[in-house]
Amino acid sequence: MTKAVRRLAPIPLLLVLAYAALVAGTPRLSASQVYAGLFGPGSDWLFTLVTQFRLPRLCAALVVGIGLGAAGALLQNLTRNRLASPDVLGINDGALLALALSLILNPSGLLGPWWCAVAGALITAVFTLLAAGGVGTRGYRVLVVGLGIASLLRAGFDIALATLPIFHATGLYAFSVGSLAGRAWPVVTVAAALLGILLTVCWVISRALALLCLHDDSIRGLGVNLGQLRFTVLMLAAALAGVAVGVGGPIGFVALAAPMLAQRLSPDGGIPVWCSASIGAVLVTGADLLGRIAAAPVEVPVGVVSGFLGGPFLLWLLMRPKAYGAG
Amino acid sequence: MKAPKAALLGVLLPLSVLLLAFASLSFGAGGVGWQDSLHWLLGASGDAHVDLVLGELRLPRLLKALALGAALGAAGVLLQTVTRNPLAETGLLGVNSGAALGVALGIAWFAGQSPAAQIGWALGGASLGSLLVLLLARAGGGQTSPLRLVLAGLALTATCHSLTAWLALVSTAYLDRYRFWLLGSLAHPHAGLLWPGLVLIGVGLTAAMALVRPLSALALGDDLARALGQGPAPARVGAVTVVALLTGTSVALAGPIPFLGLIAPYCARTLAGVTIASQLPYSILLGSALMLSADLSSRLLLAPFEVPVSAVLAGIGAPLLIWMVNRDATLGLMPAGSER
Repeated sequence: MTKAVRRLAPIPLLLVLAYAALVAGTPRLSASQVYAGLFGPGSDWLFTLVTQFRLPRLCAALVVGIGLGAAGALLQNLTRNRLASPDVLGINDGALLALALSLILNPSGLLGPWWCAVAGALITAVFTLLAAGGVGTRGYRVLVVGLGIASLLRAGFDIALATLPIFHATGLYAFSVGSLAGRAWPVVTVAAALLGILLTVCWVISRALALLCLHDDSIRGLGVNLGQLRFTVLMLAAALAGVAVGVGGPIGFVALAAPMLAQRLSPDGGIPVWCSASIGAVLVTGADLLGRIAAAPVEVPVGVVSGFLGGPFLLWLLMRPKAYGAG
Repeated sequence: MKAPKAALLGVLLPLSVLLLAFASLSFGAGGVGWQDSLHWLLGASGDAHVDLVLGELRLPRLLKALALGAALGAAGVLLQTVTRNPLAETGLLGVNSGAALGVALGIAWFAGQSPAAQIGWALGGASLGSLLVLLLARAGGGQTSPLRLVLAGLALTATCHSLTAWLALVSTAYLDRYRFWLLGSLAHPHAGLLWPGLVLIGVGLTAAMALVRPLSALALGDDLARALGQGPAPARVGAVTVVALLTGTSVALAGPIPFLGLIAPYCARTLAGVTIASQLPYSILLGSALMLSADLSSRLLLAPFEVPVSAVLAGIGAPLLIWMVNRDATLGLMPAGSER
């Protein structure tokens, strides 16, 4: 298989999953019913079910997955460490805390200002980097520093959770687990637009991005301002993760796993950002679908599915005797 | 030089624990000040209100804080010795979250609300968690870097936490209680839990003291330990059992409390030296003192609200963790080739 074909491999899988996400659930629809719901002529309930519930949820899953996958790939390229991801570096928790604070300061709307998550993610990313003393290639240090910051932010979130009235606390808690239930068009469309802008920036700097897998001196030798490049990539990754957290809550391990799977598909060079983004979309859509049908009629939030599956995945990764061979 | 300093510490530390304990009785809501608590302690108070506030609310809380601090301080030292990892801590390595998952399972699915059931479930979860940690620490054949083990703990925590969270979402009635319990609150007067918990922690602390000799031998390396007649395997299994007992009981009493098992042994190591024989008692005392101070600050910082004690400890522990990792270059070392 050529490289290009391999990199496109997630796309058909994604289409299958997207179709399944529209069909599965209660009630279960047939293909023609989905078509009728989307393009007419369909009954009112069919139209509402497909276009107002299942389709926005699917789009939310895609936004979250693409955001997390791309953010993970950027961070792993940046730190040259395969375990770097927004959840491990505390970025997800920063976004979550920002949301909680916005809810405390403005208790009228339930999770209205979701874009606060982006601001929280950006601030946390800078802070983590400063506390760790640069991205560095010094092993696990930046990760454990991120872990410490994550727990600090998590403690702040816990305080917020305990201070809020139970109505808000329940909503925020459900959100903090990571869930796509009930994501509606207003949030999804704005998030998708923001994601589009960020991905465009990614595309513009993709040439410089590809340099990150080179040695520092070689990059400087090419006349690239390394500090500036690193800062841009970090901010980009944080913003992507922030969008994802704003829509779906802090869904763990997707940003960790997607780039690794992407690199398995195309093992040479750095970590492919686009491939990683599409795999992220596959993972989130798949996990959400699994959560919807696994324990039906009860719904398992996508964050629970990803945490449950992602923990063992990380363990397996850490405990492999020869940690990371080629491919 | 060493002996007077140690003697001074040996006097100062218990004294400060006593002072903090008295402060813990004297401050907080309820309109009972230190004069009242002094009178009450001397048996001179006949006031029903004072009796209620001190006897029913503050004294159980004080005992709980003392016991939890001691338990987590001791568990931290044992875990650090067994895994040979200065960052090993029941919260970072996932033992806490295992115990919390056990409690959540017991409450949500098996109606395990009774104190005995709650402790039982917590112990079960803590045992599984510590067993996994031990296996993980051994998996790399002594090559597992400290930070790598912490990341493995993160993985374990994530899995347990997502399951716990799901249970809380499924059983909505439980969430309101759960969210406070998860914060590591000391305020809830689980009256039935207190005494069995204190007894179990007492047993655990005694066992920890008994493990000092075998573990000191273990610290010299497996071969030397064997030569000294202390089999490494029984010492490890014993230590992990005691860690599970102490952690499980403390989680059942007050929820998962983070970082205490990192802070107390770290300070003890700095004050008293690296041998486990000196580190353990200091860590127990420091753990109690820290827990009491954290509990006091949790009551006083944002009064009349209560800051969760876990948040106070995270506020001290997380910066310490970051500082330790940044300072100690050896922590970052890992097997070659594990970085891209």
